[in-house]
Amino acid sequence: MNILTIEDLSYTYPSGIQALTSISLAIEKGSSVAILGSNGAGKSTLLDLLLGFKASEAISIYGKRLSEYGRKELGKLIALVPQAEHFSFAYTLLDYTLFGRAPYLSPMSSPTSEDALIAYEALAKVGLSGFEHRMITALSGGEQQLLLLARAIAQESELLLLDEPTSSLDPANRRNILTLLQQLHSEGKTLIFTTHDANFAYELASDIVLLKNGSLIDYGAKDKVVKSELLTTLYDTQLTVTEINGQTIIY
Amino acid sequence: MNDYQKRKRSQIITLSILLLLSVLFGVLSLFVGRYPKAGFTAPSLFFHDSIAQTILINIRLPRIVLALAAGAMLASSGFTFQLLFANPLVEPGFLGVSQGAAFGAAAVIVFTNATSLAVQISAMVFGLLGLLFSYLLAKRFRFGGALLRLVLAGIAVSALFSSALGVIKLVAEPTKDLQDITFWMMGGLWNASWRSIIPTLVVITVALIILYLNRFTLNLLSINEKTSFSLGLNPKRQRMILLFVATVGTTFTISVTGLIGWVGLITPHIARKTFGSEATFSLPASMIMGSFFLLLCDSLGRTVLPTEIPIGLLTSFFGAIIFVVILSSKSQEGKA
Repeated sequence: MNILTIEDLSYTYPSGIQALTSISLAIEKGSSVAILGSNGAGKSTLLDLLLGFKASEAISIYGKRLSEYGRKELGKLIALVPQAEHFSFAYTLLDYTLFGRAPYLSPMSSPTSEDALIAYEALAKVGLSGFEHRMITALSGGEQQLLLLARAIAQESELLLLDEPTSSLDPANRRNILTLLQQLHSEGKTLIFTTHDANFAYELASDIVLLKNGSLIDYGAKDKVVKSELLTTLYDTQLTVTEINGQTIIY
Repeated sequence: MNDYQKRKRSQIITLSILLLLSVLFGVLSLFVGRYPKAGFTAPSLFFHDSIAQTILINIRLPRIVLALAAGAMLASSGFTFQLLFANPLVEPGFLGVSQGAAFGAAAVIVFTNATSLAVQISAMVFGLLGLLFSYLLAKRFRFGGALLRLVLAGIAVSALFSSALGVIKLVAEPTKDLQDITFWMMGGLWNASWRSIIPTLVVITVALIILYLNRFTLNLLSINEKTSFSLGLNPKRQRMILLFVATVGTTFTISVTGLIGWVGLITPHIARKTFGSEATFSLPASMIMGSFFLLLCDSLGRTVLPTEIPIGLLTSFFGAIIFVVILSSKSQEGKA
């Protein structure tokens, strides 16, 4: 069953720059989709459109257009893990994770003890148990990324949109995030993520979208799409896909 | 009972104690003044001295109620602005509101035979115009994101009102009008009567209720706009609504009290330090602390010297000291 369909999606910025041209995709429920492309290819714009942050009538979830969903209804379906978060105030990890419960709260109310239990569980899942009352301003980059994920987990949405989830992480934290996302995928969540790390994409994704200059170059199962020629065309630089000890490496 | 419930319960208790202390202080303040002589008015006088009754009910009580309401409004507006602009150093006079109100008040004082009601209305109208100009100007700017544009427009509008105010002061009659303008700009609650404060109290009450009910949403508006959108909010619309409510509340307040600075900057800081940054408790705490702070300054202002000290001077004096202490304290490192 398709969770998300995109039919002939084009997007032009108010400045006149054409960001996306005639994109059509169908994303199956429970799949893990990587969006690859060089800077300016339209990855972030596509993510904004999938979130509904930029309006489009070309995107549907379960056959219903995004614009037909209520804001909170959509919040229960799609969670966003941004590349980075802007922390001006010293919220605790628990406070921030509880923000993920917002779509479930009735208007003008605050989280309940049941919401707190869900937030505690989400923090435990990403390995931040015991740090619930620490300030988010005191977290390292890797811990912040884990926290962003915990907040999205607490949101209990079926679909997770992740904007370059490992862009500023060291190898250990990258591995940590990869394992967590693989676990979420195996639990049935649908993941759509942008990344510049083709190896990370290959390890996590079931399907891969290749975007170049706002157009779809290819979309399909990762083994069909991850080819040296295609990736070389995509990034305009020589990339080789090879197998070492049974593991696919892109360099 | 889990950890979350325990923390919630202890915060409710602390908040209740703070509220009780503020009410008690309000009651105490009712009996402090200059009748029948400087110092304390014996409560027993209230039952057999009609002058004492009039002073307590018609002079001191509206003034105390105004101090409590204005303190809560200025503090919660400051708190709201800080979250909406994701900047802990912002306060209500930010979007051309204070300077607009000051211009409005000065213009009426100098160019008309003004009643104090006319000064209030003019201050309020020009305060709101300050906000409107800032908003319209921000829409025309082609630099920065939406919030930065609004802040820059606020700076420009404030500067324009400020220069116009300078011109008015230049032509003001020095022995009367200039003094009135100066006093208005230093803030004061001495004009408070039931008649003059009721409309403001109604507006403040409505504004405080709206802000209080939206306290959890305020948190969500302080983070990445895309994240708050993904959490089911309509950030642009909700931000504008809450900004409008906070500004209208502030404008109505300063139209009666004159300019009072620092309450909106200091009390949210102390509230966040005491109750944590999450607004569920720190917003109401900020309201109560603002009430307490303004009542304290007003009570001192009308009792310590034979002549009254304008409240704006006292809030600035104590506010600046508290500000320095907060920013110098070691526990402030890495916090906001």
